[in-house]
Amino acid sequence: MAEHEHHWESSWAPLVLVVGIVLAIPLTFASYFQYENALVSALFAGVGVPLMLIGLAKWVDEGLDQTHLHFGYAVPGISVFIVSEVFIFLGIFSGYWMMRLEADSWPPAGTPHMSMVLPVIMTVILVSSSFTIHVAEEKLEDGDEAGFRKMLMVTIALALIFFSCTMYEYSHLVHEGFGPSTNSYSTAFYSITGFHASHVLVGASIFVAILIPALGGRINKTFVQCGSIYWHFVDIVWFFVVSQIYFW
Amino acid sequence: MKDWIFTTDHKRIGVLYLVGSFAAFAVAGTMALLIRIEQFSPGPNITEDPNMYNSWLYFHGAAMILAFLIPGLTGWAANYFLPLMIGAPDVAFPRINAFSVWLFWLAIVIALLSFVIPDPPDIMWTGYPPYSVQTEGNTAFYVFTVHLLGFSSILGAVNFLTTVIYMRAPGMGWNQLNLFVWGTVAAFAIQLIFIPVLAAAVTLLLFDKYLGTHFFDPAAGGDVLLYQNLFWFYSHPAVYVILLPAITILGEVIATMSKNPIFNYKACVYAGIWGVVLISGEVWVHHLYVSGMPNWIRIGMMISTLMISVPVGIIAMSLWGTLYKGSITYNTAMTYAAGCMFLFLIGGLTGIPLAMTVIDVNVSDTAFVHAHFHFVMGIFAAFCVIMGVYYWFPKMTGRIANEKWGKIGFWLNFIGVNLTFFPLFVAGLHGMPRRYYDYAQFAYDPTIEKMHHMATVGAFVVLAGMAITLLNWIGSAIAGEKASANPWNSKSLEWTHTEIIPGPGNFKEPVTVSADWTPYNYGK
Ligand SMILES: [Cu+2]
Repeated sequence: MAEHEHHWESSWAPLVLVVGIVLAIPLTFASYFQYENALVSALFAGVGVPLMLIGLAKWVDEGLDQTHLHFGYAVPGISVFIVSEVFIFLGIFSGYWMMRLEADSWPPAGTPHMSMVLPVIMTVILVSSSFTIHVAEEKLEDGDEAGFRKMLMVTIALALIFFSCTMYEYSHLVHEGFGPSTNSYSTAFYSITGFHASHVLVGASIFVAILIPALGGRINKTFVQCGSIYWHFVDIVWFFVVSQIYFW
Repeated sequence: MKDWIFTTDHKRIGVLYLVGSFAAFAVAGTMALLIRIEQFSPGPNITEDPNMYNSWLYFHGAAMILAFLIPGLTGWAANYFLPLMIGAPDVAFPRINAFSVWLFWLAIVIALLSFVIPDPPDIMWTGYPPYSVQTEGNTAFYVFTVHLLGFSSILGAVNFLTTVIYMRAPGMGWNQLNLFVWGTVAAFAIQLIFIPVLAAAVTLLLFDKYLGTHFFDPAAGGDVLLYQNLFWFYSHPAVYVILLPAITILGEVIATMSKNPIFNYKACVYAGIWGVVLISGEVWVHHLYVSGMPNWIRIGMMISTLMISVPVGIIAMSLWGTLYKGSITYNTAMTYAAGCMFLFLIGGLTGIPLAMTVIDVNVSDTAFVHAHFHFVMGIFAAFCVIMGVYYWFPKMTGRIANEKWGKIGFWLNFIGVNLTFFPLFVAGLHGMPRRYYDYAQFAYDPTIEKMHHMATVGAFVVLAGMAITLLNWIGSAIAGEKASANPWNSKSLEWTHTEIIPGPGNFKEPVTVSADWTPYNYGK
C-alpha cells in the first residue's frame, strides 16, 4: 500500500460513466416518451452512449492493471450486489403474483397460445452458457489462455442467441396482436422477460469487456470470476421466469 | 479542482456528499418557506397557481429525504468517518464510491431540472398511481431520480458492507466497533434489501405510463394498492436508514462529550439496532390503514409497529445511560445532542398513537402526521447531521467551529422548529389535512389559522438559525481557531490515530488494536 501514502488517488472513469448513463438513459427516455422529440432523444443517446463506453473502457483498463482489483474484495462485493438484484426481481414478480391471484380466470382474454418449445430451447441455451463459462474459468485456472478465450467467445455467442430468441418471440407475439398493453398477462410477460433479457445483455457486455483485453493477453482472474458469478445468477433467475411465466 | 472531481478518496468523496446534500437542503428549505407562506392564511397567498405549489411540495419532500438526509448521513458521515473508525486506508471499492457520489449529484441535477422543463413532475415524493400514470407531468424524471439515487445507495451498501466485513484493523472484533459503524452497517443492510423493491415499484410505474402496461390499472386486472405496498415496503424502512446513522452519531457525540462508554453496548447493538432492522420490514402497512384491507392485516401491522418501539427504546436508553454520571462538556455539538434527545422523544411518543389503527384513521393525512414525521425523521435527523458537522469539523478543516455563533444558531433552530411543528400537531387534531394549498373550507375553526401563523413564523426563525449556522461553518473553515489533533479527547480511532486532517491512505502506520481496546476506553 506504499503508493497510497504519497498521493491522492483519482480516476476520471466513474464521472464520465455517470454522465454517459444520465444522458443515455433518463434524458434519452424522457425526451422520447415524455416530450415526444425523437431528434433530441437521438442527440442525448448519441452523446451518452459513447461517453458510457469510454468511461467503462477506462475503468476496465485501470482495473486490469491492479491485479487484486485495488483491495481484492470484488468477489464478496458482487455477491452482496446480487442480494439486491434478487429483491428487485422479487418486487417485479410480486406485481405479477398480485395480478394473477386477484384474477377471476387465467389467462386473461386476448392471450394467444404460447409456445412452450421456445422457452425450453432458451433454457438449454442459457444452462449451456453457464457451463461454458465455468469451463472457461477452469481453462484459465490451468493456464490455458487460448482455451479460455475460446470458451468465453462461445459463452458470448450463446448469450446473444438467447437474446435473439427473446426478440424473435416478441416480434412473433406482437404480430399476433399480443403487445405489452394487451392485458394483465402481457403486462407481466413483457416486464419480467424484458427485465431478465436486459440482465442477459449486461452479462454479455461484461464478457465482452473481459474478452477484448484478453485478446491482447490482459486477463484479470478476479474480474472473470465476478462476471461468472453474475452469469450464474442470471441463469438461476431464468428458472424462476420460465416456471412462473410459461409453465404455471 | 481536477483532484476533487476525479477523486476516489473516501474523505474527499465524503466532502462532495456534504456539499451536495447541503445544496439540496438549501433549495428544499426554500421550498419549505414558500409552502409555509402559502399556508399562512386560507386562500392564495404567494402563488395563484396550485400546480406551482404542488411542485414545491414535490421538491421539498423528495429532496429533503433522498438528497439531503440519506446522502448526508450514509454519504458524507459514513464516507468520511467509517473507514477512519475501523482503521482502514479507504473503502473496498474506491472507484465505485466515486461512481456513487456522482450518481447522487446528477440525480440532484435531474431533480433541479424540474424547475425549468415543461410539464415538471407533480406527484409528490410518493408518486401514487393512478394520478402519476395519468398526469401530463414528467413522471419519468421522478422515476429516474429514484433510480439514480437508489443505484447510488445500493452500490454504497456493496462498498460499505464489504469494507466493514473485510477491512477492519487487525484485532478489531465485532464488539469493538463504534456505534456509528453499526448504525451505518444496519442502514446499508436495509438499503440493500429494500431499495430494490422501491426501484421495482417506480419501474412498473414507468412501464405503465410510457409503455402501456397495466400493473396499476384495475380496469385491466392491475391493482393500485400494489404500488402503495411496494412503495411503503421501502419507504418505511427508509426512516431507519435515516434514523440509525443519525442516532448512532448522537451516541458518538454523547460518549465523547460525557467521557463515558456507551451504556449497555451489546444490548444497544444486537437488540436495539438489529432489532430495528429485523422488524423494519413488517410495519409498512401502517401507511395504508385507510386503504382497503382485511382487519387481520391492520391489527397485525399495528402490533408490529408498536413492537418496533422496543428496540428503539433500547437504543434511547443506551444514550440516556451514557450520559449518567458523565463529566459532560457543553459545547455546540453537545448542545445539539441535548436538543436531539428532546426532539426524538417528542417524535417517538407522537408515533405511538399513529401506530394504533383506531386513532390513526382519525388523524390520517392530517397535519398531526406531518408534524410527527418532521419531528422524528426530519428535524431530529437534520439536527444530528448538524451536530455531526460541529463534532467532526476539526477533522475536516483542521479548525474548530466558532462556539458562540454555533450556540446562537442552535437556539434559533431549536426554538424555530418547535414553534413550527408543535402548532401543527394542534392544527392536525383540529382536522387540518396535510398538504392543502388552500384551507378556506376549514376557516370556520380559527385555531387552525392561528396555528398556521405560528408555524410560518417558526419557519423564518429556522431560516435565521440555518443562515447563521452555514455562515459560521464557512467563516470558521477559513479563519477559525486551529484545532489540536484530538480536541475533544476522544478515544475513537478517527481522533487518536490520524493527523488532524488525514492525508491519502489515512494512517501513517497500519493500525492494529488490542483485545481490550474499545473506542470508548474512558477508564470506567
Ligand atoms: Cu412508517
